[in-house]
Amino acid sequence: MSLKNVLENWSDYRKTHEQGGHHEYEHMWTLAIDLNKCTGCNACSVACYAENNLATVGKEKLHKGQGMHWLRMERYWDEPQMGGDDAEYHERGASFLPMMCQHCNAATCEPVCPVAATYHTPDGLNAQVYNRCIGSRYCSNNCPYRLRYFNFYSYYDTSWPEPLNQQLNPDISVRDKGVMEKCTFCVQRIRTGKDQAASEGRELRDGDVVTACAQSCPTQAIVFGDMLDEESEAAKLWAKQQVELGPYEQKKDKEGSELRGYRVLEALNTDPCVMYLDRVREA
Amino acid sequence: MRRYYVMGLFSNFEEAFSTISDIRHHAVPGVSVDDVTLKSPIEHPEIEEILGDRGSPLPKFALFGAIFGMIFGFLFLASAQATFLVQPAGGKAVITLPSNIVLSYEMLILFAVLSTIVGFVINARLFTRRHPLYSEKVSLDQVGVLLELDEKSVEPMKELFKKHKVLEIREEVAE
Amino acid sequence: MHTKDINENIAWAKINEDVLRSMENPRVGYWVAVAACILMVSCAVLAEIYQYQVGMGPSNLNWPHMWDLYIATFVFWIGMSHSGTLLSAILHIIGADWRKPIYRFAEAMTTFSLLTAGLFPIIHLGRVWNMYWVLPYVSDRGIWPNFRSPLIWDAFAITTYLTSSAMFLFIGMIPDLAICRDNARGWRQKLYTVLSLGWQGDDRQWRHFRRIYLLMACFLIPLAVSVHSIVSADFAMSIMPGWHITSFPPYFVAGALYSGCAAIITLFIILRYFFRFEEYMTIPILEKTCKLTFAIAMVWSYLTLVEFASVWYGHDMASKEALIARFTGAYAPFFWVMLFCGIVAPFGLAFERMRRHLPTMFVLSLILNVGMWLERWMIVTPTLESSYYPFAFDTMWPGIVQWAIVFGSFGWFGLLFLIFVKVFPSVSMYEVKEMVFHRRHYHSEEQAVKFHRRATDRQLTDQPGTEGA
Repeated sequence: MSLKNVLENWSDYRKTHEQGGHHEYEHMWTLAIDLNKCTGCNACSVACYAENNLATVGKEKLHKGQGMHWLRMERYWDEPQMGGDDAEYHERGASFLPMMCQHCNAATCEPVCPVAATYHTPDGLNAQVYNRCIGSRYCSNNCPYRLRYFNFYSYYDTSWPEPLNQQLNPDISVRDKGVMEKCTFCVQRIRTGKDQAASEGRELRDGDVVTACAQSCPTQAIVFGDMLDEESEAAKLWAKQQVELGPYEQKKDKEGSELRGYRVLEALNTDPCVMYLDRVREA
Repeated sequence: MRRYYVMGLFSNFEEAFSTISDIRHHAVPGVSVDDVTLKSPIEHPEIEEILGDRGSPLPKFALFGAIFGMIFGFLFLASAQATFLVQPAGGKAVITLPSNIVLSYEMLILFAVLSTIVGFVINARLFTRRHPLYSEKVSLDQVGVLLELDEKSVEPMKELFKKHKVLEIREEVAE
Repeated sequence: MHTKDINENIAWAKINEDVLRSMENPRVGYWVAVAACILMVSCAVLAEIYQYQVGMGPSNLNWPHMWDLYIATFVFWIGMSHSGTLLSAILHIIGADWRKPIYRFAEAMTTFSLLTAGLFPIIHLGRVWNMYWVLPYVSDRGIWPNFRSPLIWDAFAITTYLTSSAMFLFIGMIPDLAICRDNARGWRQKLYTVLSLGWQGDDRQWRHFRRIYLLMACFLIPLAVSVHSIVSADFAMSIMPGWHITSFPPYFVAGALYSGCAAIITLFIILRYFFRFEEYMTIPILEKTCKLTFAIAMVWSYLTLVEFASVWYGHDMASKEALIARFTGAYAPFFWVMLFCGIVAPFGLAFERMRRHLPTMFVLSLILNVGMWLERWMIVTPTLESSYYPFAFDTMWPGIVQWAIVFGSFGWFGLLFLIFVKVFPSVSMYEVKEMVFHRRHYHSEEQAVKFHRRATDRQLTDQPGTEGA
């Protein structure tokens, strides 16, 4: 709290201003999700529940819209001529979209939090500090993807009755009522991976950190990686699909290639860090 | 020499004002209009023509409060934001001018109001004891003309009051 | 001569007597009203205790309906607080002296509806016990609130507004408190002696009083406008279709003045009836208030229609769908009722016969406020029902906990107001005296007739011409 701090912050401000609004990120964690490979098996969602101590709220509350599915498997049904409404085979014409926090680099949830409980880390993550959250729920209202979930009740007793509480992940807290939460890109795994790399005295490599969803995906549709590491698989996928972080409209070289990459609601200029590869089907 | 407080109560406001006007024109030797205190149930902007414009420094208090509020508000916010080191701004500006303009504006008004109130309390001499000659009729429908006088001026002043159809005269020895 | 705002020849002693009488000896009806209000408040308190212990779940809030009645009612009460300032400050600055008999309770309404509104952001927090984190206090952890958040702007704006409007109310009341002090006995005398701050009606005091009153009025007008603009920023600063609308700040300010003026009419009629303030809260003053309300209602209606038009021609698909959903979606019945109450019903104010009929005006003012409450709800909820992300479309009906707290907030406001009218003078005695004094001196009856004459009034034959006088 000194003049030095003030001046340093001021110089930071000046610097970021000239650079067009971006810090020098240490990492930029991203996901690339290939919808061609997604079978809608929900393994990612289950893995997420297990890894992140997500409360299972029960059928009624889920139906009321009070579920805690950080990673939700969205089902969309095609138009009838595409096979939707097929009385015999309900599964025909279904497409799936695994949806988790997009970790927008221009996140709409961040500026509106009154207590700065959500902010952007130098890892490029959109972090949520549970202890700081007072539950104004403005962030969720301002999330165009509606990817933030609120603890409407205290679930500790109902969701993990003895001895289920033994299976809780010790690396991450159990949130109490009145707190907003959302996908963290398994920040506890990122932390562990960084510590591991540091103790071995090396740089973090691609593959050191794998999120629970990516790990559990049987078809490997979900790829997690650091965009700043050009050798990472995710960065290669983004580059191959010619999707870039930053712009709200991708300039793609469409000639002779099958480019399927897109980001959800990119036109809102939220700059999300999750790229989806469109599903290609025969009509 | 002993000094006296003398207060005349009038129900006709015009008569009270002409009493003050007479005092202004030295109807009683040795008594100046500056010694007059008018006690009234309502506000009389027109009395200033007779009493003389005694001025009010309250706009200065308001101006000071407004300037202080804006500058202090902005500096407070800016230094708070600058020292908020646990919140990486994610590449956004650290000291955010648009929000600070809004908040400084509120601080401007808050401090201007508070400063004006302080100025009012000081200048209007609130939080003091009521004058010994204070009459409850002043809060009803009469005006009082209060003077602090030398002993020799008391009688001529009473005469003047009576000339202007005073209802009641109260006097007391000043401490 | 029923076109006069006030009888100029009313005895000043009678003014004191009438107003002081209103503060004494509560009748049975008063205690019934107090009991009803306490009952309403206790509903809300029980609901809040339950919500505090269990969490936000029983209020039926869900994903994506994170905000609902709490925020809507918060905006409603903030809005209600605006016209006390409008009536008092603006009319004071432009020198409209008909404000004088009715501004006191309007300002009290401002303060108390702010005290009510201020509860809602607290109630709606998931972790109420940490609410002080929104205050910018120096913490040893170097943590501050996020000054970029419109909710923090709210906290600043409401604190400023509450302080300023309560001070405006109090300072305007000091000469009256001195009157109370001079006439009261027992505990009341002690109370008023402290509260009147040693006021004794000196010319020095009046001189500074005039200045501070004018200065505070000058500060309060931009403050009131900024407060509701900031409240609208809760919505307008967001990215959501149906909320992210540029015209929201003026729209909210107009809506605030509208509902506040309607509430003034309601309270005007209640006070006039129960305290027999017919001499002060006269029909011509009610008519003026109604005309003002009508003008503001038309501004509000215009801004509503402009909002629709700008969204429609703006042709942003998400915004347009949100707009269509408001007209046709699950909440459409409320939306249409809102449009009727807000745009059609105020035309009742355009007719002199209705303006002069107290029961009609009482019902109409309540209808207008129902419309304005629905308006706030129809801003908050339909946008959450359908926004950018189709998977998250959902319709929700608020739970009993929310309704109980909203219901109780009216009891809380009523309770504060009931206490106010028995402890403080709800008509400004000294300003009514001023009004009478100045009107008697500067408005002769002939002039009053001249300026207020209507076509229907009897013509005065021997009217002296002012030309060449």
